[in-house]
Amino acid sequence: MSPNNYLVLSALLFSIGAIGVVLRRNAIVVFMCVELMLNAANLAFVTFARLLGNLDGQVVAFFTMVVAACEVVVGLAIIVTIFRSRRSASVDDANLLKY
Amino acid sequence: MEATHALASGTSSLLVWLIALPALGATILLLAGRRSDKWGHLLATALSGASFVVGLVELFKMLSRDGETRGVSQHLFTWINAGSFNVEAGLLLDQLSICFVLLITGVGTLIHVYSIAYMEHDHDRRRFFSYLNLFIAAMLLLVLGDSFLNLYVGWEGVGLASYLLIGFWNQKPAYATAAKKAFVVNRIGDMGLSFAIMIAFTAFGTVSFQGVANHAGPEHKQIMTWMGLALLLAAAGKSAQFPLQSWLGDAMAGPTPVSALIHAATMVTAGVYLITRSNFVFDSAPTAQLMVVIVGVVTLLFGALIGTAKDDIKKALAASTMSQIGYMVLAAGLGPAGYAFAIMHLLTHGFFKASMFLGAGSVMHGMNDEVDMRKFGRLRLAMPITYITFGLGYLAIIGVPPFSGFFSKDKIIEAAFNAGGPRGWIIGFAALLGAAITAFYMTRVMVLTFFGQKRWADEAHPHESPKLMTAPIIILSIGSIAAGALFAFGSSLQHWLEPVVARGFVEGEPALQPIVVSIMALVAVALGVALAYIKYVRVPVEAVAPTNVSIWTRFARRDLLQDAFNEAVFMRPGQYLTRALSFFDRKVVDGAVNGTGALFGGLSVRVRRVQTGYVRTYALLILVGAALILAAMLAARI
Amino acid sequence: MNFVAPVINYSQVLPILIVLGTALLGVIVEAFVARDRRYQIQVPLSIAGLVVAFVWILKIHATTAITAESAVAIDGPALVLQGAIVILGIAGLLLIAERKLDSSGDAFVAQAAAIPGSEAERTATLAKLTQTEVFPLTLFAIAGMMLFPAANDLVTMFVALEVLSLPLYLMSGLARRRRLLSQEAALKYFLLGAFSSAFFLYGAAFLYGYSGSVGFRQIREAIQTNAGNDVFLLTGIALVSVGLLFKVSAVPFHSWTPDVYQGAPTPVTAFMAACTKIAAFGAFARLFYVGLSGARWDWRPMLTVIAIATMVLGALWALTQTDIKRMLAYSSVAHSGFILTGIVATNKAGLSGTLFYLVTYGFTTIGAFAIVTLVRNASGEATHISGYAGLGKRSPWIAMLLSLFLLALAGIPLTSGFVAKFAVFSAAYESGSTVLVIFGVLTSAIAAFFYIRLIVLMFFQDPEEDGPTVAAAPLMTTAAIALCATVTLVLGILPNSLVHVIDAASRFVF
Repeated sequence: MSPNNYLVLSALLFSIGAIGVVLRRNAIVVFMCVELMLNAANLAFVTFARLLGNLDGQVVAFFTMVVAACEVVVGLAIIVTIFRSRRSASVDDANLLKY
Repeated sequence: MEATHALASGTSSLLVWLIALPALGATILLLAGRRSDKWGHLLATALSGASFVVGLVELFKMLSRDGETRGVSQHLFTWINAGSFNVEAGLLLDQLSICFVLLITGVGTLIHVYSIAYMEHDHDRRRFFSYLNLFIAAMLLLVLGDSFLNLYVGWEGVGLASYLLIGFWNQKPAYATAAKKAFVVNRIGDMGLSFAIMIAFTAFGTVSFQGVANHAGPEHKQIMTWMGLALLLAAAGKSAQFPLQSWLGDAMAGPTPVSALIHAATMVTAGVYLITRSNFVFDSAPTAQLMVVIVGVVTLLFGALIGTAKDDIKKALAASTMSQIGYMVLAAGLGPAGYAFAIMHLLTHGFFKASMFLGAGSVMHGMNDEVDMRKFGRLRLAMPITYITFGLGYLAIIGVPPFSGFFSKDKIIEAAFNAGGPRGWIIGFAALLGAAITAFYMTRVMVLTFFGQKRWADEAHPHESPKLMTAPIIILSIGSIAAGALFAFGSSLQHWLEPVVARGFVEGEPALQPIVVSIMALVAVALGVALAYIKYVRVPVEAVAPTNVSIWTRFARRDLLQDAFNEAVFMRPGQYLTRALSFFDRKVVDGAVNGTGALFGGLSVRVRRVQTGYVRTYALLILVGAALILAAMLAARI
Repeated sequence: MNFVAPVINYSQVLPILIVLGTALLGVIVEAFVARDRRYQIQVPLSIAGLVVAFVWILKIHATTAITAESAVAIDGPALVLQGAIVILGIAGLLLIAERKLDSSGDAFVAQAAAIPGSEAERTATLAKLTQTEVFPLTLFAIAGMMLFPAANDLVTMFVALEVLSLPLYLMSGLARRRRLLSQEAALKYFLLGAFSSAFFLYGAAFLYGYSGSVGFRQIREAIQTNAGNDVFLLTGIALVSVGLLFKVSAVPFHSWTPDVYQGAPTPVTAFMAACTKIAAFGAFARLFYVGLSGARWDWRPMLTVIAIATMVLGALWALTQTDIKRMLAYSSVAHSGFILTGIVATNKAGLSGTLFYLVTYGFTTIGAFAIVTLVRNASGEATHISGYAGLGKRSPWIAMLLSLFLLALAGIPLTSGFVAKFAVFSAAYESGSTVLVIFGVLTSAIAAFFYIRLIVLMFFQDPEEDGPTVAAAPLMTTAAIALCATVTLVLGILPNSLVHVIDAASRFVF
């Protein structure tokens, strides 16, 4: 299979993630969509590594995973506090700051 | 513009002290606070006087040098030096600035002395004096700066001092509003100055007077025209010229010494200084020059007309200030033929108007702060010194020979007629008409205040003011007698200023012989006085302003609808917009301040609806933004 | 396979390591020291760490190095910005550490896990509990910020971006009062931040695909030799820009800024408004001047449009704000536009102008927010603008200092902001972006309006009846304000020394 297909797949995943961020209301799901976008980037890195024949891209993928894990820690902490305060994880409920 | 200046050395480094002394006074008084209440006013007066002495020393040193090397400049420090952008902070003392230095420190010191008595019962007298000193320092910086940028710093400084002093009694809301109005109108003017600086910098890479002057000439006509118009806007804001004149009348809310010093003698004339100092800009931009003339003519008539209807003595004097500055601006717009006369009128006006304002202050002092002239009358008996000095100022302003106003105003009218062609005739007659109206309304002020029967309330006990107040008035009125002849004799001021503003003598045959102009001016003045005599002496004056007056009087009483115009054009639409969009916080949005800003304000309220507060909207914005950037970047390739 | 240990010039990266090490020490202090003694240890420890880092930066100021397998480039711009970040970090830390202003402790929540309005929260408040995690968090953020402008490849940049962002997400949510707002700010900041960093990473992938490397030098060379697929390059540039433009809050990626600035505890807002902007623009400049400079004809038009939109809309939005923190937030958006002007210039004057602007802007911003922490009423800070009416009468010093900062932000002559604006505008003019300069000057005029409006309000209007009072400034806040005011004034009157330092330093190594 041509590596190009993986690039297309990564673009699809990235778009699904980005659209999910805009469309979904639940903060956790929104966050998971962001994770999907990060993984789409990872896929692109690995594909390019394969195309170019060097290892840099694969190394980057590991970095990304670590960073994404850190993001989960911080992100879930914030989402859980918000959920406990408001009894809702909908991002549309957090709407006090505007204009 | 003159050749390179001699660099200051030896005692010329006194230049810094001119500014430093009053600045020091302001700092000490502000920092020491209540502790300096006892001696603060004395210190401030002494420092202002010391600055005057330094000015005199500089004058004598200047006299001892030859014409070519009279101007001195002093480099203070390099302010910004970043490759192409290089600004030096420096002072420049030449024949033009020394005139202002002496006027500012001289009149300023006299007004300090006067204020000691005038403000005696005000518990904030120390603060008042610190502001006065601050003003003197800033004004000196304005006239001594050697670049537009340095001038700008002083320009903002005098603005600040002026707001602080107009709003000095800011416990009264009307006064605070007046200060705010002055603030806003001046901001519009200041924008002109900053535009001029930007233009100079972007076009010539320099903002110093010398540097810009080197580029002056027909080859930069376009740039110079824009710069000239921007400078004119600045001058109009500061000098209360049409269409930015509305703040001056309200600025009379400040204590009277302030009106005398800032809003008559010095600060409001800064616009004339700016135009004269930038003569190289205007000389290479005829369009801008014509605009200057138009603004001057319109204002001189406008101010004079307003003056005819004011019953408040200070507002009448303010209107006359506006009108007299109109004369100066007109003269400055006439180019090399007029600069010297603009400055001459500025100096003589500084004397007689300051003395009249102080006289008005003296009247108010004796009359329980009453300002309505209809409640005065027959004060010549109660206040003989004030009466005589005010009378001398009156003779000077209407231009009776041999008082100072005669020489300076006469020269301006003459220069106007000589401007050439139909244009010369139009502005010449406008100036003559202005002189007639001036004679009319000043006679009215004089008659209402000092003649006729007494109309004051029973509880008023008019009395002459203390010596500390009358002495400065007397000195100033001596100036208003003598200054004109001194400057005009043998064209001494013209010769003196020649190195700065280029030749100022009419070549060829003048349109009218000087003697003809003088006679016409005197006839105009006589007509004005006679009319006032018929209206205000033959007919007894009522203590309450009559209401069944002609529509013209009503117009004039309302400042020729200036405020109504401002309100209708700038404020109202803004307010309606504002009300329609109810997000606006009324407390913050004060109509007077924000009227013009409301246009942007309304826009602002609309566009900020994008900020919905929903994370998803924000994410959508980011996504759309990213898509747009991506599309824009790729558009070229696909 | 043979692994060669990478060469690291420890001396050059030591400032970053010192700050990181101090942060780790702070974590250990959190774990092992009794609760009531932590504050006494954390504050001196953090400040000492930053001071030592700053001294070390001074020591290595004239050196340059590309180190750690060319992942980090320490050069003039990096050191200037790191120095500024550390000094501003100290000022921010002083504000964060202030405990004399709020009667119930500091600006931070007693127990972040307690639900707002619950019994647990009341108990924690009554017990006067205070937390000190915020100090190591600040230090981690500072370390990330120091690494960000020094990052010399896309991965390091991404890691630095996250290291500086993650602590800030948390710190935004820690306000003691108005906790719902604060938590909302944290949520918004986090979700949008993560969203934009995904764009950055995806763009990085494309740049890697184009050049075969994530290093800036390799990307630069690839562009010069026109080695790869153009579409990858342009896609990469576009997406990477999104991530960075988000951090510098350029329109249309600015929307988090007002909400987060308003909701976060004011000391944190002060800190992040100044330092994040410096770090992000530093990284921005390095990426675009070093890595992508060969493609400048592709990205300059895009950035020009964004700069104009940012200036104009930021100033326009700020006009009608009634909350001072929100107004300053929109003003920070407008300033991003002004700074972008310097970046778009793509010449040496542009770089030095940008650096100068960043330094001066940092000090004025922290100063302005520091004063916001002082104006308080019974329920904490009074951030509504009407509370500032008549401040000039009640506390002339505070009003004058705030006016100084506002005038500097407005770019009035004799303040540092003027010099900075002139520097970036003249650089842009030199590079031929006249349109940008015209928009910049006009926007400055609009922007001056809302700063001056606040000054008018303070000096020419009567105070409200039961308006807020100004707390007597305690020692640490006073120190921070004094530092910022001094720098603002000195750089306004005598900007020359710094201009020269920055001029000499304005050269990227690659």
